[in-house]
Amino acid sequence: MASKQEQGIVQADYGQERMRNQFKTLGPMNDPSGQSMGPFYTQEGFREKYLGSLLEVLVMLACAIILIVLVSTIVFIAVQGGRYFAPMSAFQVTTFIQHDLNTANASIIVDDSTKADNTKKDRSTKQTDSTSIEYMLSHESQETLTNSITQKLDNQFIDTGSRNITVVVASADDLFLLSTVSGQKFLGEFDSLQNGETEMDNLSQLTPMKSTVASLQQNLNDIQISRLTPLHREINDLNVKQVSQDTELYQRKLAEFYQWQSHANTIKQQIESYRINLRLDTNEVISIGVLNMQEFYQPNKLNWWESLGYSVEQIYIFLSDSPKQASTSGGVFPAIFGTILMVIIMAIVVTPFGAISAIYLHEYAPANRLTEIIRISVSNMAAVPSVVYGVFGLGFFVYVLGGSIDSLLYSDNLPSPTFGTPGLLWAALTMGILTLPVVIVSTEEGLSRVPKNLRAGALALGATKYETIKKVVLPMASPGILSGVILAIARAAGEVAPLILVGAVKFAPTLPIDGEFPYVHFERQFMHLGVFIYDGAFHNQTETQVSSLMFASCMLLLIIVFLLNISAIIIRKRLRDKYERL
Amino acid sequence: MFKLFEREVLSVDEISSAQTSISVQDLCVSLNGKNVLKNINIRIPKNKITALIGQSGCGKTTLLNSFNRMNEFISSHTISGEVNINGRNIYDKRERVSKLRSQIGMVFQRPNPFPMSIYDNVSFGLRIQGEKKRRVLDDSVEKALRKAALWEEVRDRLFDSALTLSGGQQQRLMIARALALEPEILLLDEPTSALDPLTTLYIEELIVELKKQCTVIIVTHNMQQAARVSDYAAFIHMGELIEYSDSDSLFTMPAKQQTEDYITGRYG
Repeated sequence: MASKQEQGIVQADYGQERMRNQFKTLGPMNDPSGQSMGPFYTQEGFREKYLGSLLEVLVMLACAIILIVLVSTIVFIAVQGGRYFAPMSAFQVTTFIQHDLNTANASIIVDDSTKADNTKKDRSTKQTDSTSIEYMLSHESQETLTNSITQKLDNQFIDTGSRNITVVVASADDLFLLSTVSGQKFLGEFDSLQNGETEMDNLSQLTPMKSTVASLQQNLNDIQISRLTPLHREINDLNVKQVSQDTELYQRKLAEFYQWQSHANTIKQQIESYRINLRLDTNEVISIGVLNMQEFYQPNKLNWWESLGYSVEQIYIFLSDSPKQASTSGGVFPAIFGTILMVIIMAIVVTPFGAISAIYLHEYAPANRLTEIIRISVSNMAAVPSVVYGVFGLGFFVYVLGGSIDSLLYSDNLPSPTFGTPGLLWAALTMGILTLPVVIVSTEEGLSRVPKNLRAGALALGATKYETIKKVVLPMASPGILSGVILAIARAAGEVAPLILVGAVKFAPTLPIDGEFPYVHFERQFMHLGVFIYDGAFHNQTETQVSSLMFASCMLLLIIVFLLNISAIIIRKRLRDKYERL
Repeated sequence: MFKLFEREVLSVDEISSAQTSISVQDLCVSLNGKNVLKNINIRIPKNKITALIGQSGCGKTTLLNSFNRMNEFISSHTISGEVNINGRNIYDKRERVSKLRSQIGMVFQRPNPFPMSIYDNVSFGLRIQGEKKRRVLDDSVEKALRKAALWEEVRDRLFDSALTLSGGQQQRLMIARALALEPEILLLDEPTSALDPLTTLYIEELIVELKKQCTVIIVTHNMQQAARVSDYAAFIHMGELIEYSDSDSLFTMPAKQQTEDYITGRYG
């Protein structure tokens, strides 16, 4: 009985102790017992208490910093990239510059960042008071634009105190934005519509004009397809059959051909005669064929719906068009296509290789030092700088392998190389080597997650080692393999340095897949999103339109990589739920 | 009338070679450099239940594993002596391990169903043997599940994941999986140690039922279970076979002091 009582007391004491410990973790303000707990407020307890909370605060701070950095990166890219798709307002900027005569040598470089063509004033010309008018598109408001331009001009004077600058920014509601099929953009006042010699001031004629041009173009196409092409073929056939040019048939066909051709030329000229004239800020009038016109609208007069439509159209163009005007407008479709194709080929190569090596290492290799060394080297492979792989790819795949393939199979084309140049296949193989460790490590992890007793179960049922691996171990390791492959894909999608060396270019005129035999052209160079961004970053950095195309590509890359990673996580979770709920 | 009370259990020495299922001669096993079994000689009778008892780490499981060469699962092992099943030494170099294991069923301490459907679990062994005919598989799955007294519970959800079954059901599934191959010998390695008493009882009844079809060898820590279920019992201590006789005599009047100490709970 006595001993039980003692036990009870001990337990009670223990409870108290626990309570005290709990209080210790709280700050002094939260301590309900305060000073009454006297004996526990020794020097040591005090230090322990504050050191603990200090550590806690530091850890929280570190986490907060990491979170802030991550979120701000994403937000920054999203905002900068999103701007590319937002409609801009047109402004008229009038700059008055008055010069002090004493500092006539002061150099002025009016480098307006928000417009594609810079107005640079020559140093040597004698500086006089000047007034310049410029049209520009901007996302910013009137006020901020005024401030930023004034500041920019201020900074661009080498000598201070020698000028008097006035900048007037006015919203230019009458301005039209005209973009051509080839991606050029013009901002100006509507001057006139033109049909041959006749000029019309009335803008309402544009719509009928457009439809006329469209129907003419349709006619032209019809003639091309149903008349000129067959005739050309027939004449060609006659040539092949070596029919003399003097025969009546030949002459008739030829006459017919020329007749249709001249007809086509007339239509072409007719189409060309429909033009639109625009007065630019330099007071110069440009004339653009209606056929070449892609967009023509007043940026400041878009309503909410039209703005949305504009953004949607911009996104569509961005995703489906190829880059134009030296990657300043258009879209990034070839880059997306190239990235995905390269990554698919890489995955096809790297998955079996990685999985098989991991299975050997984990299941078959004897547990000795050599295996351990191999395993360590595999992990170290992941730490090799990617540009080293690029150099390896260039030296081995392109020059050695590609060179040998050329000399064996394509010797007719030499000295111009077929496979001996950087191309899609070599890029995919290089990326495969680069991402091999990721797949191996993650597969091994997956294999080691398979419980031993399942293997024992399969073996006890008379399965051989191979059957056990095939039927029990591999399905259960599949989440590991899959997530490894997806991580490898994400890595390859974002890599730049090795790709530049082995086949990615900033502009490829053709896609690696087309209708021409053998349909998939492994030897072709291709475009890659990462390389596209890298290239975009080297363009004139003051041109916001260009840099926001780069930011938009950046956002796209980020989205692709995020989606891949999220799908890796989901697949892993699904498969784990399926196989590992033991 | 008298026949009813008579147990058909012969004493160990009376077992003829025709009635022997497994005979072990001078078996020594060392795993990872440790001598786990020392000079074991034992003859296990056909269509009877033999219990292996002894404290943890004494080598019962190793002995069980030597009957279907599962010890080779451990990387460093040396085995000497003979294990004869049907007059063939299974450690002979010509013996095919996978064939041998398909003839000897084994059920582990913890149920280890494959992450597949119940049907696939039971038909796994046959499929490994190359059986592809759906009808044969269907029949054998049903037969095995019936033998393991699981058919009624799972007949409507044969294609559900085996992992959805309860612990006791999973263990019966494991027995069904082993029985699907119609083994001559069934090795049970503490099959009820992870189960509750009621399920344990259920499985024990099943084991008794099973001896009509095959020789059953069961490793257990539970003295009552060994006494209830087994016809013969072997007590192993520190890798040596201390005593082997019919269960009645071993549990009521053990010949060796060590055995008595163990079964009365003085050590172990």
